[in-house]
Order: sequence, then C-alpha cells, then structure tokens
Amino acid sequence: MSDTTHAAGAVNVRRYRLVRNVVAVWLTLMIVAAFLRDIPRLNILEQTARNLYFHVPMWFTMMTAVFVSAYHSFQFLRTGNPIRDIRALQAARVGFAFGLMGLITGIVWARFTWYAGTNIWWNFDPRQTMAAVQLLIYGAYFVLRTAVDEPRRRGRIAAVYNLFAAATVPFLLYIVPRQMHSLHPGAEGNPAFSETDLAPAMRPIFYAAVIGFIGLFWVLYTQRVRLAVLKQRLQGDPEI
Amino acid sequence: MNWLYGAWAVFEKDLRLELRNRYAVNMLLMFVLSSLVLVAFGIGETAVSTRVQGALLWVVIVFSAAVGLGRSFISEEERGTVLLLQLNTRGSMVYAGKLLFNFLLILSVNLVALGAFILLLRVDVRAPGLLLTTLALGALGLAGATTLLAAIIARAANKGPLLPVLLFPLLVPLLLSVVSATRAALPQGNGWNAVGDEMLTLIGFAGVVITVSVLLFDYVWNE
Repeated sequence: MSDTTHAAGAVNVRRYRLVRNVVAVWLTLMIVAAFLRDIPRLNILEQTARNLYFHVPMWFTMMTAVFVSAYHSFQFLRTGNPIRDIRALQAARVGFAFGLMGLITGIVWARFTWYAGTNIWWNFDPRQTMAAVQLLIYGAYFVLRTAVDEPRRRGRIAAVYNLFAAATVPFLLYIVPRQMHSLHPGAEGNPAFSETDLAPAMRPIFYAAVIGFIGLFWVLYTQRVRLAVLKQRLQGDPEI
Repeated sequence: MNWLYGAWAVFEKDLRLELRNRYAVNMLLMFVLSSLVLVAFGIGETAVSTRVQGALLWVVIVFSAAVGLGRSFISEEERGTVLLLQLNTRGSMVYAGKLLFNFLLILSVNLVALGAFILLLRVDVRAPGLLLTTLALGALGLAGATTLLAAIIARAANKGPLLPVLLFPLLVPLLLSVVSATRAALPQGNGWNAVGDEMLTLIGFAGVVITVSVLLFDYVWNE
C-alpha cells in the first residue's frame, strides 16, 4: 500500500509526516533553549519565569483547539459528513489535554510566586475560571457522547451541545473580570505582552513555543483523526 | 399554521397537562422548599454574609431547574407524542411553547423559593424591585439554557442525571451575575446603582441562549 492510499481519505500522510518531523525538531530546540538561554533575573519570579514558555502557549493551543472543534461541529450540522464529527471530537480531546496542562502549570506557578508563603492553590483568577469552565464543558461533551449509541444522532447532538456551549463562553470574558481581580499581565485593560510584561530577550523563544505547541496540537490531532477513521473502517462503517 | 398560534397551542397543551396532575410544579416546589429547609438547618442561627445568602438561594434554584425542567421533552417521548408534534407543528413553535412553559414554571418556583428564603434565613431585603427583576431575568436565562438541553437529553439513551452535567458549566456567567445582583438588593448592597453590568449580562445571556437554541433546535428535534 502506498502512502497516499494509506491516507484514509481524511489526512494527507506525506504532509502529516513532514509536519511531524519539523515539529519534533522545532520543539526539541525550543525546549533546550527555554531551559538554557539566559533570562532577566526578577525577584520572586527568578527561574520560574521560564514557565512562560510552557504555560502561556498551552492556553493559545487550547483556544485554537476550541475554535477547530466548534468549526467542525458547525460543518457537521451543515453537511452531515461523519469525518466532521470525528474531527470535532478529536480536536476537543487534544484541546482538553492542553487546557489541563495549562491549568496545572498555572496553578503550580501561581502557588509559588503570586501566593508565595500562603497555602493558596486555587484562586478565582478570571482566566483560571474561564479555563476551568471550558474544561467542564468538554467533560460534559464527552459524557454526552457516551450517552447516545446511534452514531448519526450522537454526532448531531454532540455538535449542538458543542456550539451551544461555545455561545455562552464569551459572557465569561465580559462578566468575570468585573467581579474578580486578576494578577495576570494584560488583565486590567493594559495590553498584554508589553515591554514590561515580556522582556525582549524572551520574545523569540516565546513565539517559537507558541508556534511549536500549536504544531504539536496539529500533529496529535491529525494522528488521532487518522486512528479514529481507521478504527471505524475496520468496524465496517461504509460511510467513511 | 400561524406561528404564534402554534407556539401558543404547544404551551397551552403543556399547561393543561400540568394542571391535570401538577406533577412538575409540586415536585419543584417540594424540592426547593426541602432543600432550603436543609440549608437553613445546616446554617442554624449563624449570621451569614449577603454573598453567602445569595449564593445559597441561587444554587438551590439552579439545582431545582436542573431536576425539574429536564422532563419537558422526555415526557413527549414517553407518551409517544413526538411524531404528532413533528407532523402538526414546526420545530420553532415547539421550542417557543416549551420555553414559555418552562419560564413560567421556574419563575413561579423562584417566587416561592424567595419567600421561603426570606423567612428561613432571616433575610432583610433592601431593594425588592431589583430582587424581583433579578429573579425574572435569572428565570429567563435558566429556562433558555435548559429547554434546548432538555431536548438533547430526551434523545440520549441514558437520560438519568445527565442534565445537571450539561447545564452547570454553561450557567457560570448567569450564576455570577445573579448572585452579585442579589447581593446588591440585600443590606449593605448599593441597589440599582451597582448592577448595570449584571443586568446587561443577564439580558444578553438570555438573548444569546434563546437565539442559539432557536437556530440549533431543529437539529435535535427533527430526526
């Protein structure tokens, strides 16, 4: 079987391998640089500032995944093509993993910097709240999928829930910052990543990290889509 | 069929069925009353802050909505009347009728809950108009979010306690706003002056969930 027939109709294998190799090299270099390059020394933050290279790109990646998932849910409702449902689900799954990583890196980072000396692990920071809500929504989405047996019905109902939930999330952007205070850079109306928030020396690696982790999302996501398509084919679903 | 007439007919049918056995309304009232009594006994004579009072009231209301409103489409499936509704009405009429019924149901339950809350938790209300407005807008947002989800779980094989799982993550913006508005209506609150953002969020939330529900309802309703 050649590479192109192996593509399962859903993923271009040549492109997938190319991106995967580039992402592997890119992320390795980026992680080495993230740990070894000099960074400006700040009190309290000290070496934990390197977490910026990991924590912040996790959020960007989760937001990308949320958009990809919602887009494919919308397309599933429009066309009814089963591949769209698979794509929406896999984007949500990989996005969930990135969101969880972002939440954990954020909680640990805050515990030993903003809340150093206290015993506070969970705080009602607006961004943390929004991320937790998004994770709960995806948790509910996964539970809902297991509650329906018939694939077409499951796809449609899950897509409806995914889009319905996506419509309510923007309210958090509006109401939450008015009720909770944030220590995040850029949270109180000042632009994020200004000169004072992100030192020029850290910028190149930060941007490289954002691109690298979004690339990693793409690799994991396409890989999972291909796996899901092959599984369905083996089960004899004629539509894929 | 005229759209308004169709929606009204669906509402009237639900209301008449409800008045025949009063299952949903009695169950909701007992749920709200008994959980508020539990809350009151749990707190005892301790004075709690207005923030905690507001949070307790709304958590009870949100739970009662999740328990009570989930039946609205399951009952159609159980009675086997889904096909008849699909033949005789359009999806948006069914949605509008059910939404109106759920709104009135949750609003009346909210009013009873508020009365019990004031008596049991010894609450002093500073701005009654604001509190009632908050209750009404909160009920609208709750009914808007719950009606579509009730249609969704009616299509699921394992209905069980699925509705709270689906509903609660969506209600975080609503809960934040109603608790904060309720607090403004209690002593030490600033009344109407302080709740511009909350009212805007509540109106916007209800508007968005109802609009999106109308757009998505047909995909759930028509098989």
